[in-house]
Amino acid sequence: MLPLSLLKSAQGHPMLVELKNGETYNGHLVNCDTWMNIHLREVICTSKDGDRFWRMPECYIRGNTIKYLRVPDEVIDKVQEETKSRSDRKPPGVGRGRGRGREDGPGGRQPKGIGRGLDDGGAKGMGGGRGRGGSGGKAGGSRGAGRGRG
Amino acid sequence: MLFFSYFKDLVGREVTVELKNDLAIRGTLHSVDQYLNIKLENTRVVDQDKYPHMLSVRNCFIRGSVVRYVQLPPEGVDIELLHDATRREARGG
Amino acid sequence: MLHLFARTQKQKKLVHNLSCRGVSHIDFGSLKMSGGPGLESLVDQTISVITNDGRNIVGVLKGFDQATNIILDESHERVYSTKEGVQQLVLGLYIIRGDNISVVGELDEDLDAHLDLSKLRAHPLKPVIH
Repeated sequence: MLPLSLLKSAQGHPMLVELKNGETYNGHLVNCDTWMNIHLREVICTSKDGDRFWRMPECYIRGNTIKYLRVPDEVIDKVQEETKSRSDRKPPGVGRGRGRGREDGPGGRQPKGIGRGLDDGGAKGMGGGRGRGGSGGKAGGSRGAGRGRG
Repeated sequence: MLFFSYFKDLVGREVTVELKNDLAIRGTLHSVDQYLNIKLENTRVVDQDKYPHMLSVRNCFIRGSVVRYVQLPPEGVDIELLHDATRREARGG
Repeated sequence: MLHLFARTQKQKKLVHNLSCRGVSHIDFGSLKMSGGPGLESLVDQTISVITNDGRNIVGVLKGFDQATNIILDESHERVYSTKEGVQQLVLGLYIIRGDNISVVGELDEDLDAHLDLSKLRAHPLKPVIH
């Protein structure tokens, strides 16, 4: 499993990011890219010593300044689910595909929808997320919408 | 590519890798890659009393970017071969 | 003559490169092993990571990439000090950026089980200075 896939799957989830300069940022992941640049919403920034705090509605962090990211435990299960459904979907019309259609049909299609919903969200970039955020929803809302679509 | 080839040739030999945090790790060179990341087997830290942080580690991967020195076995250094390879590399061959 | 032992294109090229000075001691057995020091062999194993800022984090390796970014599951930090034994802090699921990694060690579970962390005293590791 690739670290950046896990990060992508953490869209909409809360996370803690520590930078190389020791500052930490707590917020919800809106989006990220292949350089690990990330966009957070509803952020609390803490100084290196942990004695000063700043709130900000959103922030953008350049990937190469990051030391590590702490993400909720359940996100790892989500990636496994997504990669599984993606590989199920890949060979269309091959024996495996038939198996899915026949038995796991409805159940198998559900995670597929989730996967694609997230992908779409990511591909379209922050545009969608931001729009929802602007209308009062949190980043989590955009995840909800993605799932609903699926 | 010269150092990459050189280290590949040293695979199986005993080396000591000193890191940029002063930690020195001794072990058998298992492999190297293009970034000069190094994998050692049967490792032990040189000053275990001062650095007990890796007491339960026997195999490790060291990121090339944090290596300060690699101490080589004398028999692993063939000056003639290195001279020649250096010239060839300088010529772009 | 060395060419007799060179099985792959890559090996043949290497032999060609080294053949200038009668190099005769290439061990292809170990060269095959040295496909590169990737972290594949450590996936789903417990590893001990030393970071550039001197921290020691132990967890299960779930993934990595070319840049040595890694996913650590069920991770905890081992905090060394000279005043008391090693303290363990629960961290959970971490993505550590490759830039910030010095060493990834395979944790030998037997050796580790016999370590009495509460008795270990040491200075924290120094940060890496480039």
